[in-house]
Amino acid sequence: MRNISLVFGRIAKPISVALVLLFVASSLQAQDAKEGESIFRSNCSSCHRVFGKFLGPELAGINERREEAWLLKWIHNAPAMIAAGDPIAKELDAQYPNATMSAFPQLSEDQIKSVLAYIKSEEEKSAAGAADGGTGADGGAGGASGDASSFMIVGLIAVIALALVVILVLNKVIRTLERVITNNKDLIPEPVLDQTPGKDYAAKFRKLAKNKKLVFFAVLMLVVFLASAGWKTLWNVGVHEGYQPVQPIKFSHQLHAGVNQIDCQYCHGGAYKSKNASIPSANVCMNCHKAVTGSDKYDGQLSPEIAKIYRALDYNPETMEYGTNQRPIEWVRIHNLPDFAYFNHSQHVAVAGVECQTCHGPIETMEEVYQYSPLTMKWCVDCHQETEVNHKGNAYYDELIAAHEKLKKGEKITAAMLGGLECGKCHY
Amino acid sequence: MDSNKKYWKGLEELQQTPAFVKQSKGEFAEPVPVEDVLNEAGLSTKTPRRDFLKALGFGLGAVTLAACNRTPVHKAVPYLIKPEEVTPGIPNFYASSFKGQSVLVRTREGRPILLEANPSAVGLNCGTDASTQAAVLDLYDMSKLKGPKFNGADISWDELDTHVVTALNAAAAAGKQIRIVSSTINSPSAIAAIARFTEKYPTARLVEVDAVSYSGIIKANQNSFGKAVVPHYRFDNADVIVSVAADFLGTWLDGEEHTQQYISNRDYKSLKNGKMSRHIQFEGGMSLTGTNADVRVAIKPSEEGPLLIALYNAITGSSLSGALSTNQKAQTALKLVAQELQQARGRAVVVAGSNDTAIQTLTNAINVALQSYGSTIDLDNPSYRYKGNDEAFAAFLAEANRGDVDVVFFLDSNPLYDYPDAGAVKEALGKIKFKLSFADREDETASELDAIAPNHNFLESWGDANPRGGYYTIVQPTINPVFNTRQAEHSLLLWAGEKTDYYTFVKQNWEQHILAGSSKTWKDVLQTGFEYKGDQPASAYSFDFGTLEAVAGAIAAGSKTLAKDVEVQLYQSVALKDGKQGNNAYLHELPDPVSKVTWDNYAALNPKFAESLGLGENSLVEVEAENGYKITLPVLMQPGQAMGTVSIAVGYGRTKVGKAGNNVGQNAYPLAKLVNGTLQFNTTAKLTKASGRYELAQTQTHHTIEGRNVIRETTFAKYKENPGHNAGRWTDKHKTYDLWNKYEQPGHKWVMAIDLNACTGCGSCIVACNIENNIPVVGRDEVRRRREMHWLRIDRYYAIEQGGASYTKEDDIAKLEDFENVSVVHQPMTCQHCEHAPCETVCPVLATVHSSEGLNHMAYNRCFGTRYCANNCPYKVRRFNWFNYWNDSRFDNYLNNEFTQLVLNPDVVSRSRGVMEKCTMCIQRIQAGKLKAKMEKRPLKDGDIKLACSSACSANAIIFGDANDPNSEVSKALKNERVYYVLEEINVQPGIGYMTKVRNTYEA
Repeated sequence: MRNISLVFGRIAKPISVALVLLFVASSLQAQDAKEGESIFRSNCSSCHRVFGKFLGPELAGINERREEAWLLKWIHNAPAMIAAGDPIAKELDAQYPNATMSAFPQLSEDQIKSVLAYIKSEEEKSAAGAADGGTGADGGAGGASGDASSFMIVGLIAVIALALVVILVLNKVIRTLERVITNNKDLIPEPVLDQTPGKDYAAKFRKLAKNKKLVFFAVLMLVVFLASAGWKTLWNVGVHEGYQPVQPIKFSHQLHAGVNQIDCQYCHGGAYKSKNASIPSANVCMNCHKAVTGSDKYDGQLSPEIAKIYRALDYNPETMEYGTNQRPIEWVRIHNLPDFAYFNHSQHVAVAGVECQTCHGPIETMEEVYQYSPLTMKWCVDCHQETEVNHKGNAYYDELIAAHEKLKKGEKITAAMLGGLECGKCHY
Repeated sequence: MDSNKKYWKGLEELQQTPAFVKQSKGEFAEPVPVEDVLNEAGLSTKTPRRDFLKALGFGLGAVTLAACNRTPVHKAVPYLIKPEEVTPGIPNFYASSFKGQSVLVRTREGRPILLEANPSAVGLNCGTDASTQAAVLDLYDMSKLKGPKFNGADISWDELDTHVVTALNAAAAAGKQIRIVSSTINSPSAIAAIARFTEKYPTARLVEVDAVSYSGIIKANQNSFGKAVVPHYRFDNADVIVSVAADFLGTWLDGEEHTQQYISNRDYKSLKNGKMSRHIQFEGGMSLTGTNADVRVAIKPSEEGPLLIALYNAITGSSLSGALSTNQKAQTALKLVAQELQQARGRAVVVAGSNDTAIQTLTNAINVALQSYGSTIDLDNPSYRYKGNDEAFAAFLAEANRGDVDVVFFLDSNPLYDYPDAGAVKEALGKIKFKLSFADREDETASELDAIAPNHNFLESWGDANPRGGYYTIVQPTINPVFNTRQAEHSLLLWAGEKTDYYTFVKQNWEQHILAGSSKTWKDVLQTGFEYKGDQPASAYSFDFGTLEAVAGAIAAGSKTLAKDVEVQLYQSVALKDGKQGNNAYLHELPDPVSKVTWDNYAALNPKFAESLGLGENSLVEVEAENGYKITLPVLMQPGQAMGTVSIAVGYGRTKVGKAGNNVGQNAYPLAKLVNGTLQFNTTAKLTKASGRYELAQTQTHHTIEGRNVIRETTFAKYKENPGHNAGRWTDKHKTYDLWNKYEQPGHKWVMAIDLNACTGCGSCIVACNIENNIPVVGRDEVRRRREMHWLRIDRYYAIEQGGASYTKEDDIAKLEDFENVSVVHQPMTCQHCEHAPCETVCPVLATVHSSEGLNHMAYNRCFGTRYCANNCPYKVRRFNWFNYWNDSRFDNYLNNEFTQLVLNPDVVSRSRGVMEKCTMCIQRIQAGKLKAKMEKRPLKDGDIKLACSSACSANAIIFGDANDPNSEVSKALKNERVYYVLEEINVQPGIGYMTKVRNTYEA
């Protein structure tokens, strides 16, 4: 089913892109604001917010407060203006002694204008109320990437409804046929034995029960069925494929890794150098979430999930200070490898070049993370038997591969051939 | 090829006692009573069908119920603010030092888990002995104090400070004395801190006293050369070494440093160059050094002085009176020794273990005559490891008794336990108004005092050390203080009104003094861990031989007082030393290198002497000192012990040290006595047989090799004729056959080479292995049941040589008058990683299999405990987990709490009950080393991977590496002619090569 949703997603993407393009073409004003938004995100948002004071002043109403010519000059090279002794510039500098406005000589006049247009559009949006805030483009993209489970549920309901209809219709047909039979009793030849139909079944059953071959076959089938069901169940004892516990913070990989395209390594740096991929410490979250508060989705309020990070660090967003009452975040571990199995991320990620998704699944689409792989030994071994060793450009393997090539001429070198299936490689 | 010399591990093996013969038949002490079950009410009884069904139903129900718990939810708690240098899963190394030995501390996620010798400090007092290796466990000791105490009650630091400062001010106002009693302090910063304290309180003085005193040497050097120091010995410059009761490879001064120096003239590299030093040992008890000597002559403690007089006379041709007149064997040896020494003038050294000033002065005279100063003895760069002054402490007691002392602090000092006359100390303490200890626990002394200001563990401290002239090491913390403790130096500074914290103080002290004029900065030192300023050039020393007649007179008088029926020699055991680490379970379970006894001290007696006293194995004997102090000790029959002597280890019998160490053995310190102001460990006592029996937990015959030819020994003379003498590779003469397909090892092939000539048997590898591989301590009772878990053991073999002939038959041995002349070979024994491993073929579940890298793997999670493998192992190196030692209240030695479990190595699983385990060749280190090379995209270099045992070995006796790399050290070592493989004749094709033991004997 997941494949279907993937296919669907793949089709949906170009459609949504087309939709966006259509929408974009229709509104030049929005084009400005759109460009302005991206410039704002990459250049301004580390110090400014449209609503509310951050490191720098609030930007809402900036178009009214200042003249456009002054703003263009100011954004282009603020330090120069302060140095030149511009009165407004000097006043601002005095107000924010710890945060001097940076110079942005790389921004063209048009680009700065589009940033200002973006700020204006945000003000308008806010004024119009959150209800009309969502644009068509947003909705289109959101719908198109619609998630797999809802599609499946709708599909299932449809199938079940269809099946019910079929059953009802069939029932109706049967009843009609029965009626026809009872109405035309004489048309039917008398049964050979004058037994009631019920007694007839019992007798038939008794007769069948005397058929030893049949009984044997039935029992055999039952045993085979139970045994295979039991076997399957037992194999899955302790296998927590699909385990999806509720986490203390509703962290979405879909948003961070999927939409925002943050590299896995940014948070899970350990995966490249250590045996532990490591859950990022809260200070890594704060690299972005000091600025990104999610307020655009929560009526200008702090996102309740981000607030949990602040609470853990005892961080006060108003004063931007850290308190002493810090409490660690207790995540629920999803991938639980037993103690006797040694697994090293860096061997797989940095040396073998295995993609994170190979084991962790489509993590960039997961709203909440679940265990994608069974983490059974069979699963490990299967991969080790097939996977070719990533030895190109790694001098460590030069001698090993040379030695092995003597043994296995022409064949590919798999992890198993270099001892990847030996007990002591994982169990010590 | 086959040596006909007979080696045996213990007297029970030599005499083939019935108990030994019975035990040697089975791998395990107590066989599982399978036959009893079968013969009695076992299978022959009839189980009624209904009973069977009932049991089946109940069993099924119970198991189902037991299985009906939810899968536990595991939490993952990351750092809130991750320290930049920490990457979970990757160890960090910090340079620090322990007792002046520069070490690297391996930490994982902020907790220290292992100490290793600092490789860049080789030759500079480097190397880690068993007690250094085990020191990391002391950090996680649950018996430590959680905070300061005052009059037995918990108190805050502020309140304690008020009390202390009040007492100090009162003493200062009254003009009374303030004393800081400490064991040797060689830390420049600590000395500066105490100086700062003395500035504030001018009546304060530091009194240094060591439990094991070397003040005789210091006084002798003061008398002889005007330098009150312990010299720095250079055994690497010595071709002939004569030791009179000095255990210089073990417990005498810097054993590890001496080992490195000594081995550099005896290991395979030196032998290749045709060079080997000669070592002659005269001693009473069998010491670690004695077991390594080329010639060992048993003498009584009372003969030490006369022997040195005779030696002096023989070397210089003078005729001091009081020369050795007894002990014909020693006299014969002496003549040869004197000749050797004279020939090796300038390349010889004579050391004496006695703490008697007269004996040490005479030793100085001999060394002057041998021109040792400037070559084998260095007075200009002296050792500062032991500066304790016995007289100063006696003076302190006198002062206190006069009522002159008002305040006393004890720093790293426990006189109520280790001072011979504890009663006198107690009496003196009664007259002091305010007494405080910096002990980290309520030990024997601290518990009797007014206040305890618990000190940090060295792994939590800042500090430094100056173990010898020109050599400075730093101590840097690797973990935040675990409990509410405070560093003693910091406390002293605070009480002196100093506001700077001790870190700043140490840093400033280094920058202003030690690093002044050098290009190095404090940060450089934090990285390297030490600063070596180079040696001072040797200066000339004159010696006044005229005084020697008086010295000889003093020696003769001292000898006379010792010459009683039973002479006692107190000594430090290699594991516990002076007993300061008395709560360390790893050290208690480390078998003594010579006696192989764990968890006890004992009265070591020559078997023939014990017989004459009516004592036997497992007897108890009461030792009564001259002062009336009595202890009852188990008897150990020690071959090689001088007749008429008894050796007893100090450092045992602690009563207030903690769970693991309380009441282990008996305290032997009170047997010592003060003579002429120095502490003497040679004394006399009365021995009487005590009732009762006591079984020592002795591992010596636990893993017997059943008389097979596993030791190959030769002499230096024969080695020079034929380097391969007595090595005997089986494969030279026999064809080998393979029942199985040959294992292809195209990548690496991990092997070891063990140099029997370099191994001194000290056992630091065993402790390192314990810590690296999470090997549990099982305790005394389990050791008695032959269930110790050590993956690596050192087998100690005795052989008897007398009158030039080797005794090979039991009958001959029975005729011996004494057991004084035994020679010893130490053989480290661990899993041999056989190519044709007998254990692998018998495992029914393939839990132990071979790898493509030549290792014998052991999958614990696959093992279900048939123990067939252990039964089939010819080397007896497999260990079975009879219990969950880390989670079982019956084995509550140390590890049964979450705090102490922090010492465990997270890269190695702690094994569960019911599975077999054995040496893995530190596979976790092999894997980590390979991974590092892969990540750096470079070939693996020789030396990238070091095993716990090989890196702990100061003597480089264990060489590990890749046999497929022709340039690796191990490949070269294994090409040595001396190499042989143990039990090669049974075609198991072991992966560990041994090099023959070479002895530089007189017959040459």
